[in-house]
Amino acid sequence: MTTNFEIGDILLEQYSIENGLRVILNPDDSVPVVSVAVYYDVGSRNEWQGKSGFAHLFEHMMFQGSENVGKAEHFQFIMKAGGTMNGTTSSERTNYYETLPANQLPLALWLESDRMRSLAVTQENLDNQREAVKEEKRLRYDNQPYGQIFDILISMIYKNFANAHSTIGSMEDLDDATVEDVREFFRIYYAPNNAVLVISGSFGTETAKELVEKYFGSIPAQQLPPKIDVEEPSEVAETYREYHDPLAPLPAFLMGWKIPPRRTKEFHALYLAGKLLYDGDSSRLYQKLVKGEESVTQLFGFTDERRGPSSVMIGAIPKPDKDLDRIRRTIVEEIRELATNGPRPEELEKLRNQLINSEVRSRQSSLSRAQTIAEYALYDGDPGVINEEIHELLSITADDIRSAADKYLNTENRALLDVIPASAA
Amino acid sequence: MNDEYRRQAPEPLTPLPFNLSPAVKRTLSCGMNLVSVHDDRQPLVNFRLILGTGDIHDPEGGTGVASAVASLLNEGTENYASRELAEEVDRLGAALSASSASDHAVVKASALSGFASEVLDLLAELVLRPVFPENELELYKQNAIEGLKYQRSQPDFLADEQVGRVVFGDHPYSINSPTPDDIKSLTREALAEFHAGAYVPNNAVLVAVGAIAPDVLADELEERFRKWNAGELTEKQFPDPPARSERTLTIVDRPGSSQANIVLSNLAIDRRSPDYFPVLVMNQVLGAGASSRLFMNLREEKGYTYGAYSRIYARRFGGSFEATAEVRTAVTGDSLKEFFYELERIRTDAVPEDELRDAKNFLTGVFPIRVETQGGLIGQIAAQQVYGLPDDYLETYADNVRAVTAEEVRRVAEAYIHPDNIAMVVVGDAGDVLKQTSAYTDNVDVFDTEARRKDLDALLAAQDAPDADVAGVWQVDISAQGQDLSLKLELEQDGSDVTGSIDSMLGQGTLKDGTVSGAGLKGTLVTEMQGQEIELEISASVSGDSMEGLITIPLMGEPLPFKGSRVKTE
Repeated sequence: MTTNFEIGDILLEQYSIENGLRVILNPDDSVPVVSVAVYYDVGSRNEWQGKSGFAHLFEHMMFQGSENVGKAEHFQFIMKAGGTMNGTTSSERTNYYETLPANQLPLALWLESDRMRSLAVTQENLDNQREAVKEEKRLRYDNQPYGQIFDILISMIYKNFANAHSTIGSMEDLDDATVEDVREFFRIYYAPNNAVLVISGSFGTETAKELVEKYFGSIPAQQLPPKIDVEEPSEVAETYREYHDPLAPLPAFLMGWKIPPRRTKEFHALYLAGKLLYDGDSSRLYQKLVKGEESVTQLFGFTDERRGPSSVMIGAIPKPDKDLDRIRRTIVEEIRELATNGPRPEELEKLRNQLINSEVRSRQSSLSRAQTIAEYALYDGDPGVINEEIHELLSITADDIRSAADKYLNTENRALLDVIPASAA
Repeated sequence: MNDEYRRQAPEPLTPLPFNLSPAVKRTLSCGMNLVSVHDDRQPLVNFRLILGTGDIHDPEGGTGVASAVASLLNEGTENYASRELAEEVDRLGAALSASSASDHAVVKASALSGFASEVLDLLAELVLRPVFPENELELYKQNAIEGLKYQRSQPDFLADEQVGRVVFGDHPYSINSPTPDDIKSLTREALAEFHAGAYVPNNAVLVAVGAIAPDVLADELEERFRKWNAGELTEKQFPDPPARSERTLTIVDRPGSSQANIVLSNLAIDRRSPDYFPVLVMNQVLGAGASSRLFMNLREEKGYTYGAYSRIYARRFGGSFEATAEVRTAVTGDSLKEFFYELERIRTDAVPEDELRDAKNFLTGVFPIRVETQGGLIGQIAAQQVYGLPDDYLETYADNVRAVTAEEVRRVAEAYIHPDNIAMVVVGDAGDVLKQTSAYTDNVDVFDTEARRKDLDALLAAQDAPDADVAGVWQVDISAQGQDLSLKLELEQDGSDVTGSIDSMLGQGTLKDGTVSGAGLKGTLVTEMQGQEIELEISASVSGDSMEGLITIPLMGEPLPFKGSRVKTE
């Protein structure tokens, strides 16, 4: 694929301070807004058996106050300054971020540094956040129709515990967590040398550097966290399971394939294959199932992007009384078609335009830039990849897509989860 | 070791000015106005073609026409079938959509600037040459009617429907949705006629933000819209909303509901009111956000609800104030007490300086964050056009917020919040709600969830009624997600205590903690599903040999309504 659009490079300055904290500045003064993102290199992939759910529990703890910031005050400080903020946990990392009027940069750095250096890890905070996580699990996973199916499929695709367990974790593990466990977790993973700090938006670089030094400079480095192993055999762990979902109004199914790690050529090719199959109203499966056969009310699919082995998932909620096997056959046949004949020229044109469009669009917001830069810095050791990956994707050929689809998707080596609603019991 | 400078939140740096590129205004030869901002930070273009005609301009007897017209614009045109439009939009990596709101309709398009011409072709195709295919209209009607069924299960929708009716009366702002009958009676001809009358250049403004020079854009638009013929626009006269002289309560009865949705509302300002900025700041102090008074009081302090808020709906021809929360039924009265306390307080006492400063900081702070992207900025400029706001509105926004004083906040609260004759709407169990609201008004109306009036006297009588006799075998039908589930309930009664068993296709179980109080029956059904024990809360109102109520599956979102009839007396 070629492009006649010039995609300009994003301006970056990367350096480390003495304690090992990696800092990336992305000055862009088009709007007087600044976003700060702190990414810690800890996610569910770092958890071992008996300690699942720790990374996510910790994300909650980070809003419970620190030496100079009271419990739940973080949010109020940001609100009152006219900003927005949040934190999330994935298999790969835990992130915290805020967007503020540009002149409030010191506030963001003060808040982030205070919790990095002096989080209040107390029994009381641990107890009530443990309860909050359980409540979150009940609301978002256990008591939502289809709420658990993605976690179940993940556990079917992967064999290695580091990959196969969910971010929310096991409630027994959380119950067993002692305040000492949590302090140790904080010491190891929430160290400046295990984090990346990105500032994006309207600011002077000299001022920013001084502020970073002032607030983060004195936080001591720690020994690097233990190395982890996320290797996987190529076979999926479990090829079929039935899951009875008492809340599901209709049957559904979810299929999953194990694929190579992010940013490999094959991962890129499969990401594009996935877009052709299930992304948008003009995608192959939408046109076949939602329109043509009118057999499906909801079709969804995505690539789960990881530093280690990753995955593709495709699922559907069929209309009442539709034959699920037949729908799956259509999906398998469409994959085979793609694996045999590859994408059509107009599909390549669509991919190219959609890739460039979404890349350019995402660069408008300082928060989106800060987040993307932080990911590349953490995963690739090089924030400059933000200027490269789009070109890597655009250089994928029709035959790359065809052969990757053939090797990784057009195979029996996949997991299938059947969701059976209570009314079918 | 604590460094001194860490003890307090740091002072902000010098504020940076916010310099927006100026908007260029001109009128095209067809009469359509063009407002464009040349923004070439990224190779993107965003367009919005706005028509000054919205849902309130539905023709007589044609509620829902404006909305159907907008929804069907991209379902087929003279040169493209629905699917061809979808494919062409995706091929460009672009986005294209149309919708109608109460005051206006809008067609949105965005793309890489290299595809500006192509996406303008599609935009013009939608606006100038839609054909409203019969089969697409049929599909639209089916989906809209299905959608309405779902809407009627949502307490928000039921509350809005009554708030609109009570506050706006015959004014079309009262209508929150067409009825199924309205939708059924939509015709191709009515849609085409509305389109011909409203989609005319003298009723249109095109807003553009993006990497395209205003002159180039104007030429591109001339090419596509030159032959667009002006139409005759008639200024529509709207009836006045009713004047209010006392506080009223309107209940939408959902028997057995464990939640009560409370909305307090009265008329307030239109969007061009000179009091807009004081009202904005007042609302921020009172209830707009999660650090505002209503939230801090009803949620943080009292724990009555997950969230309590106030809102200002300032529209083109009028507007309203609302305070709202979804609370546990048992604290409906307590919640009203706190609502009225806060509404009175902001009308009477000057807002303390720090609270005023925080509210203003929030409003001025989020403003640039909201216009960081082209999509955000074009939304603001579009609003400026829809409501006829001054040209320097965006540039002066922050100054206008900062200029608001504590006295102005108090004055506008007094002027636009009327606790003594406010309309209270509560969606919840009428019996439970009535017990808690007598202190606030005796002007009460009750409706069912289909918006049919219910007999208040019967409800009041039921409250004082002796405990109902529920013994016997009941056939109960639960409607779950469009499917019906039935079960048999066998009840025995001893005074106000009720015991019994259930028998359903899912399995068998027992009733525990069953009680009758007046007409109300409450209890917990314990049954087994998939080898797991589950508890279903049941709450019903009994009248003779029939009952109706709600069954709640723990934490499963909305409770499911059911009806029952006695098939055998013990």
